[in-house]
Amino acid sequence: MEYLEFRNVGKAFPGVVALDGVSFTARAGKVVALLGENGAGKSTLLKILSADIKADTGKVVLSGKELSFSSTAQAINAGISVIYQERQLIPAMSVMENVFIGELPVKNGLVDFNRLFLDTKAIIDKFGLPIDPEATVMSLPVAYQQMVEIMKAYRRDCLVIAFDEPTAPLTDTEIDILFNIIRQLKEAGKIIIYVSHRIREIFQITDEIAVLKDGRLVKTLTTPETDQQELISAMVGRDIGDTYASLDRNGEPGSVVLEVDNLCTDAVDNVSFTLRAGEIVGFAGLVGAGRTEVARAIFGADRILSGEIRLGGGSVRFKTPRDAIKAGIALCPEDRKEQGLVLWASIRDNICMPVLHKLKKLIFLDGAAQDRLTQAAVEKYSIRTPSLWKRALELSGGNQQKVILGRWTSDEVATRVLILDEPTKGIDIGTKAEIYQLVCDFAKRGVGVIFISSELTEVINVADRIIVMHNGHITGEVARQDATEEKVLSLAMLS
Amino acid sequence: MKKKLPLAGALRSKAFTLVVLLVILVALFTVLASVNNTRFFTARTFIGILSDLAVPSFLAIGAGCLIVSGNIDLSQASVGAMAGVILAVGISWWQIPWWGAIVLAIAASAAAGLLNAVIVNELGIAPFVTTLAISSVIKGITMLLSTDPGNILVSSIAFTTPATDAIAAASFGDIPATAIVMVAAFIVYGLMLAKTKLGKSIYLIGCNRVAARLSGLGEKKISYFLFINCSALGGVSGVILSLRSKQGTMLALQSDQFTGVTAAILGGISFSGGSGGMGGAFMGLLVIKTFNKGMMIADSNTYLTFVLSGVLLIAALTMDYVSVRRQRKRAGA
Ligand SMILES: Nc1ncnc2c1ncn2[C@@H]1O[C@H](COP(=O)(O)OP(=O)(O)OP(=O)(O)O)[C@@H](O)[C@H]1O
Ligand SMILES: [Mg+2]
Repeated sequence: MEYLEFRNVGKAFPGVVALDGVSFTARAGKVVALLGENGAGKSTLLKILSADIKADTGKVVLSGKELSFSSTAQAINAGISVIYQERQLIPAMSVMENVFIGELPVKNGLVDFNRLFLDTKAIIDKFGLPIDPEATVMSLPVAYQQMVEIMKAYRRDCLVIAFDEPTAPLTDTEIDILFNIIRQLKEAGKIIIYVSHRIREIFQITDEIAVLKDGRLVKTLTTPETDQQELISAMVGRDIGDTYASLDRNGEPGSVVLEVDNLCTDAVDNVSFTLRAGEIVGFAGLVGAGRTEVARAIFGADRILSGEIRLGGGSVRFKTPRDAIKAGIALCPEDRKEQGLVLWASIRDNICMPVLHKLKKLIFLDGAAQDRLTQAAVEKYSIRTPSLWKRALELSGGNQQKVILGRWTSDEVATRVLILDEPTKGIDIGTKAEIYQLVCDFAKRGVGVIFISSELTEVINVADRIIVMHNGHITGEVARQDATEEKVLSLAMLS
Repeated sequence: MKKKLPLAGALRSKAFTLVVLLVILVALFTVLASVNNTRFFTARTFIGILSDLAVPSFLAIGAGCLIVSGNIDLSQASVGAMAGVILAVGISWWQIPWWGAIVLAIAASAAAGLLNAVIVNELGIAPFVTTLAISSVIKGITMLLSTDPGNILVSSIAFTTPATDAIAAASFGDIPATAIVMVAAFIVYGLMLAKTKLGKSIYLIGCNRVAARLSGLGEKKISYFLFINCSALGGVSGVILSLRSKQGTMLALQSDQFTGVTAAILGGISFSGGSGGMGGAFMGLLVIKTFNKGMMIADSNTYLTFVLSGVLLIAALTMDYVSVRRQRKRAGA
């Protein structure tokens, strides 16, 4: 039987040991979960598997044969496909070109677009998604972009398939589709590695679990024989208890701070709602429901066609995000790679970005003040980095997300309204609990919070009130006390 | 893990590469010149290089800032020529006072930058194409301005006033005043880029425009500023050149069409935006001008100078390409 073995794999980056003597085996027909906190080394291990980076020590063995590739292309040809945490698509090209990238069908020396279309359509139908093969990738919602990424790997029909947090940008519908695909792959005898921070998924789809902590393998478990608690304590090193029950919430919301009246944009239709100071309003819905678009319209990032927005009673319509920020609104965007991070800039620059004007000494920037602000964020979110000067692109995915959160949750920016779009995407469970508390702290300080999330459990437990959207409309509203996943889902699915 | 030595970092830096390149060039030309029985390594040569630098330095500063933000301007040199012609025509044909002519020349240059900015930002046309087209438009306008009432195209329009002559001749000891203005400009713009909010914003916009916009950095305003700044500084170059040569010509700055851009890139300001600084741009310019001067003194054929200038440009771009790739690779992106 085929198997994939990591033998004593080690890797160090400047200032951090990402992997330290990791050994474990994944067998054909099984799904192995790779679990660990942000920066534990999961993605690094997968990048070594796909020959994207070279290990310092140790080797990877596939069914008795040691793997040594000089490029990812070689690894793919040898039957190893890794779906990275960050999407690797070409945004301006069509879905079909992305799915078949590197292996476009050719007829008479020209690309055979007919076949390309039909072959892609076949895969899309197999997944059962409403995606047009000819649409450009950038015109799709983030969740569908992620599904395109998965189709790309599926199409290659590799023996080893590794998923690095595939569900982070997905909603339940796509997750179900993905899990069906994974089950099919499992039955076909593939070797599957699955990375996720969502414990529930681990129990749904995996057979074995390898837990990493600070670059070391601390435990291997068989999924049916373990439980949530054992997993979490292996991962975090302590018991985190019931996250939601122990939240210190704001009891009494104040007066209305934000009113949205019949808002219409290209993507949303007649959206009206109110947000009180000190209140957390959750937004739930499926992909393309228009939650992100409502947030962007309020923030002045998208054009508003009609409708009114009142902030603290006065009518406002921000032309640019800059004006919204000045008025005390912060928006932590959903897509951290394209819209959030400046990958080539330091953690410090990334965090200080929206408040640079407040960090000046005469005409020059105040280095010490920037350091203080950054240090505070690094501590608040336990960002794992050897220095404030590290470039954002050298951080693990979850730590990058923490940087974005740090940027938008400094006391200087979000003074009236804080909009969080999928804030816990890619964040480990230990830190998630801290983020929920932080959101509650904002509410206690009298900031109105809009909390957009595709993780149902999370929205219905953190928000005071959940607004559900479908296809650009608001289809209902549920108070936390009455919220169940079924109720929210039924509002999200039909209208 | 290997410990990083600070020296190793300095040795690998762009500035160091340029210093080495400069030393090699000086040595090379010293030898070449002595073969031709002339001398390269003299104080006169270096003062000459320094004053040669003044004109293109403003091109390099403007282009450098713009490239850091991820944009480019190819119309700069044409704008400079137009400014020089406006100065000359203003004084000798239109009879306006010398300072009025200077103000008019710079204002017209800034207007060209505004036009670039509007087309790039409002119509969304690529800066490369936009500025190339505007360059052609400006050349046409310059020819129109150089046409005298008798409908004759005058290739060089001479002017002279006591004030402009005095400005052109001003110097401190052997060092021309324009060279001092140039150094001051490099320092001011260098500080702006490295130490102020505006500078920081320019880098962040160059790295990720969308993220910069969502963070309220005012990317559009800054883009307008940089285009206008670039053209206005192009105008300053043209005016200085004109003052020095006491004439305005539509052919001015022809050989400096890409000098600003080349110097910036050679000095480590990356085409892909977001990196490099004014120190590098200065060093880049110094290398280019030392090279030109050396070729002149070594009395080589003009065609060779052109060929080798091209080679230098390719070398600069290759260095940019390789270093970006190396960094990407190291960062694993
Ligand atoms: N290119 C790089 N340069 C420097 N350090 C790096 C680089 N890539 C990863 N690291 C560091 O290696 C460590 C492990 O990172 P890795 O991406 O493997 O974590 P992870 O387990 O995938 O975390 P997450 O759950 O946040 O995705 C982190 O501390 C990270 O900062
Ligand atoms: Mg990761």
